[in-house]
Amino acid sequence: MPENMSISVNGQSQVPPGFRFHPTEEELLQYYLRKKVSYEKIDLDVIRDVDLNKLEPWDIQEVCKIGTTPQNDWYFFSHKDKKYPTGTRTNRATAAGFWKATGRDKVIHSNCRRIGMRKTLVFYKGRAPHGLKSDWIMHEYRLDDNISTDTNIISNGMGEASQEEGWVVCRIFKKKNYHKTLDSPVSTGETRSQMFDSCNGGAALEQILEYMGNGSKEEKEGKRSGRFLRQIDTGVKNGYHETFMKLPSLESPSSTSCQNYYQPINPDHHMITENEGLAGYQMESSSSSAALTNWAALDRLVASQLNGQTGFSDPTMPYGPTDHHHQLQFPTLRSSSSISSSNGSYHPTRQDYNTEIDLWSFAQSSSDQLCHVPNAPV
Amino acid sequence: MGDNNVNLPPGFRFYPTDEELVVHFLHRKATLLPCHPDVIPDLGLYPYDPWQLDGKALAEGNKWYFYSRTTQNRMTSNGYWKAMGIEEPVISSSGNNVGVKKSFVFCVGDAPSGIKTNWTMQEYGLSDSAASSTSTTRSSKRRGHSKIDYSKWVICRVYERNEDDDGGAELSCLDEVFLSLDDLDEISLPN
Repeated sequence: MPENMSISVNGQSQVPPGFRFHPTEEELLQYYLRKKVSYEKIDLDVIRDVDLNKLEPWDIQEVCKIGTTPQNDWYFFSHKDKKYPTGTRTNRATAAGFWKATGRDKVIHSNCRRIGMRKTLVFYKGRAPHGLKSDWIMHEYRLDDNISTDTNIISNGMGEASQEEGWVVCRIFKKKNYHKTLDSPVSTGETRSQMFDSCNGGAALEQILEYMGNGSKEEKEGKRSGRFLRQIDTGVKNGYHETFMKLPSLESPSSTSCQNYYQPINPDHHMITENEGLAGYQMESSSSSAALTNWAALDRLVASQLNGQTGFSDPTMPYGPTDHHHQLQFPTLRSSSSISSSNGSYHPTRQDYNTEIDLWSFAQSSSDQLCHVPNAPV
Repeated sequence: MGDNNVNLPPGFRFYPTDEELVVHFLHRKATLLPCHPDVIPDLGLYPYDPWQLDGKALAEGNKWYFYSRTTQNRMTSNGYWKAMGIEEPVISSSGNNVGVKKSFVFCVGDAPSGIKTNWTMQEYGLSDSAASSTSTTRSSKRRGHSKIDYSKWVICRVYERNEDDDGGAELSCLDEVFLSLDDLDEISLPN
């Protein structure tokens, strides 16, 4: 009966109509994963354990369904095991394919305190390196216990080792298809700018530009056209890609950017916002596959470019050394219902804002680079 | 506020589908069947500005839900809801047309010269066919007071339109960019 109020999950009964399991990232980490790693009992078995190597994504949705209501995403705990006893990489292969990390890990905050990290992975059918990319996406959340004591120091070696083992909580979902995946490199650029536009109808770009404020008059004029992204694309197509590839490889994150990364409020470092993104990116590249090498190289190029630009150390720039989390405090709406723990739902938004800023600085500096190519030291 | 006694573990939220809103909540309300959980309050012909709904309507995330009645002009103390002229049918999973969803935008000031805001309302009503089918099934039992006007009940969902708040369930724009960069990697790298 639909009015049955008991909500035992996974078969026996169901969630009342209209209610869905839609945890915030904070709830996933602070409530569910924290209980899991400390072997505490979780009242309801809403998040099951899944052996990621044994189940395909389309099987997971069957195993992890909650009640009978339709779902768009599925949650499970997974225990990460090393791929090789001596290595640090995680084995995420299944019978039909494998999960491959993409992008860089996102820091999850709770009340401005770092609580964990989110890795984004894509499921590829087949075997690397010839896998076929699917629409299945996984967000893998891990607790960041090294950081939770409010120290700004994370041991890179240690952190890397510990992040590849232990319990994580995962969400899988099917990517909404804004565009068809294209195979030819010629159309890749177009795809990317289309995609950028399709996110909130270009609102993200506008937000970034608004946030940049008077710092970039010229860019404002071009904000509708998305031409800066296209400029990057053009550059890549015309062979700058190769130039990046020839840069000397740099295996470990540079010490300067790491310092900046972990002291984000130090007013002496005006480059922090830029480097925050780049340092994170470099860390990712050092821990994951060689497929990211060329983009790590691009990062370094951008970083070196930034270091030579005095304009970026202007303290009046709106994205200067001040803490974003305070500047961008969104009005927090409070749920008046008795449904538990509704706060924190705005944290992801704030995070997105941050990453978009990173993206913008990345895009802008790259386009500068490419615009002034005749004078560029490359 | 109705019987709000839903005791769910952290992470469960009121995220009804259109069908659930119409079939479970609106239909049952209109046919005087008990709604469990009875979480959506009835605000009548509510005269409240959207920002006054907190504490009155059922709030979840940045959305507010309440029962109301159909009316020709929805006036509030500081403005009015203007129909956006968008009417979508609500189709049940079994393929029936069970309701209709209308969109409104909140304007501050006096109609028709008010200033549009970002506040949006979706008003769910029962479709005529759904109402009549209900009346036939219910009328045998309730012939005594079968003059219930089903079309008068609506469920409203009010929210302030802004950047999507998906709690990380979808891919961020940056993730999308990285994903397409992965494609580029595979194209340019032979291995």
